[in-house]
Amino acid sequence: MKPRTAALAWPVSATYAGLAVVLVVVMAMSLTLGYRIYSLDQVYRALFAFDGTDTSVIIANLRLPRAVVAPMVGAALGIAGVLVQTLSRNRIASPDTLGLNAGASLFVVMASSVLGVSSLMGLSFAAALGALGAALLVFGIAATAGGLSPLRIVLIGVTFAGLGHSVVEVVLTTNEAQMQQLLFWLSGAFVDRPLALAANGAPFMIVGGLVALVLSRALDALQADDSTAASLGVPLFIVRGAAFLSVSLLTGASVAMAGPVGFVGLVVPHAARWLVGLRHSRQIVAAALIGAIYATAADVAARFVIYPIEAPVGAVTAVVGGAMLLILLKRRAA
Amino acid sequence: MTSIGASAPVSSFPRAPVVLVAMLGLFVLLSLCGVAFGSTWIPLEEVAKVIAGFGEKTQNLIVLQLRLPRVVAAILSGGAIAVAGYLLQKVTRNELASPGVLGVVDGAALGVVIFLAALSNESNALVTSIAFQPLAAAVGGLCAIALVFALAGNQATSAVRLLLFGIAVAAVAKALTMVMMLIGPIYRTTQAARWIAGAVNEVNWSEIQVTFVALVPLLAITLLIARRLPPADLDEVSAQSVGLNVPVARLLIFALAAALTAVGVAFVGGVGFIGLMAPHLARMLLGRGVHVGLIGSFLIGAMMLVAADLLVRVLFSPIEVPAGTVTAILGAPYFLYLLMRKQSYDG
Repeated sequence: MKPRTAALAWPVSATYAGLAVVLVVVMAMSLTLGYRIYSLDQVYRALFAFDGTDTSVIIANLRLPRAVVAPMVGAALGIAGVLVQTLSRNRIASPDTLGLNAGASLFVVMASSVLGVSSLMGLSFAAALGALGAALLVFGIAATAGGLSPLRIVLIGVTFAGLGHSVVEVVLTTNEAQMQQLLFWLSGAFVDRPLALAANGAPFMIVGGLVALVLSRALDALQADDSTAASLGVPLFIVRGAAFLSVSLLTGASVAMAGPVGFVGLVVPHAARWLVGLRHSRQIVAAALIGAIYATAADVAARFVIYPIEAPVGAVTAVVGGAMLLILLKRRAA
Repeated sequence: MTSIGASAPVSSFPRAPVVLVAMLGLFVLLSLCGVAFGSTWIPLEEVAKVIAGFGEKTQNLIVLQLRLPRVVAAILSGGAIAVAGYLLQKVTRNELASPGVLGVVDGAALGVVIFLAALSNESNALVTSIAFQPLAAAVGGLCAIALVFALAGNQATSAVRLLLFGIAVAAVAKALTMVMMLIGPIYRTTQAARWIAGAVNEVNWSEIQVTFVALVPLLAITLLIARRLPPADLDEVSAQSVGLNVPVARLLIFALAAALTAVGVAFVGGVGFIGLMAPHLARMLLGRGVHVGLIGSFLIGAMMLVAADLLVRVLFSPIEVPAGTVTAILGAPYFLYLLMRKQSYDG
């Protein structure tokens, strides 16, 4: 099948600039639109000339964190998706179809309710560890079973994810958690996340993203096959290890911030490749921007699909992602 | 199956009926234990007395209103899901198939929440009979599996591909279910744990009655047409040459499996992997005969869910952990084992 791409019809910098503009627009929408609709003027006053009115309080305490957390999580999951798809040479792989999201949320839930970890830093570490564990497990199984087909790896990953969800459910129910909490750790949401959480997750994401960018040349070589990459002088083991670390940091931080928001990492890399082509240095930047836009837009949409009640954003992304997976399968992309 | 010639006299011994009788005994024992165990232990003879109608008042209350409903619900829905799994595995010639991975369970759940959300009035009461709930579940399940096969098209012959289509459809259905749960009356959201994991603890007698009435004819039809089930190793051409109309038979069996699953999950919610494991176990213990396979699947599936419910009651009491989590936690590793064992599923 011919790769359909809009890549290079215009300079890459123009694409980035366009995406950045769109991102600013959706973030502004995230601040203004919702159960109540505020004007940009009110938003400006709440953020830069805080006057203590109810409106300002709501915008600063409820809307702003969402408008910050959503793009961060989206960007992190987008980059993680690009890395996972390259590492597994599998176009339907993503942090959630390989069970990484579920591993991260399982470890967070375990750490907080079994081990009593309560510091944000500790929980972020637990999440990254969970993502890493799940990644090693799934790829390890694939390797020991003699190179499983992309489809089979994804089936294994999805099964792991289901297993993780069941254990999360047992742990949470035995700790008498509320339904709200259960839904959060099973599907993810951007509601009611304190800004401190974003500040805490940011270093993980920045390190993860930088590692990904540093690896981009090696990942280009890895895209073909192992022997080609090796003959180009790529230290396979180191690159893979570093990439896994980056994926784990990115996925772990985003799960610690927002729970397992589904299928973002599956959808975004396809859009990124379509826009900027296969080179990883470009794919990664584009995936970060597109992921940020996508998650923020999904968060805004979640406020309106069943207005006046708010839907979990994970449900919105799962519907889009599930449809996307069906299209990819139909086209035999994997 | 090595040295068939040497073992011929042994295999002519009617093993299946004996195993089936043993299974039935185990099933009765397990069901009684399901009633006996709990926050207070009720001796088995007391249980028998209550069921026979000679119990004391408090024990009557505990057994008939609290314990027995969940055991009966577990039997009916575990059994129904297992039989559906048997049918699906047979007709798709795919031993990885089950109602869960083909989207039937999540489709049925979606059918039910839409039904509840659409047909409730302002005071959260249902404007129609609750007997229609399994019907809504059946419509949802049937739509889901139809969608899976329509989308998969000729890719359905690959076991793994078919499953991925099923998983994608199931993911969409599950997300929509979550959204619908929020639209529906608030108090039903608290029942949502049932829908997410499958739990038998809140089922009441009127729901069981509806399940029972719907299930009996479905099981009867299944047993009646079992003889006409296309054999697992029969391709379409040779099936037609012996007079079987494969496409029609297949469609009928899909519908039957969807209906069985729907009835099984209508009040209990999605129960993971019973539809996968029970038929395998039945085939392993009882051989390839269709009738014994169906009956065995029902008994094993019923036992699995009763045992899972018993386990969560003993382990986590007084907290109600959904029984479906146990079957999911035990079933997932088995599914992984199946996936890793054979490379021939890819097609």
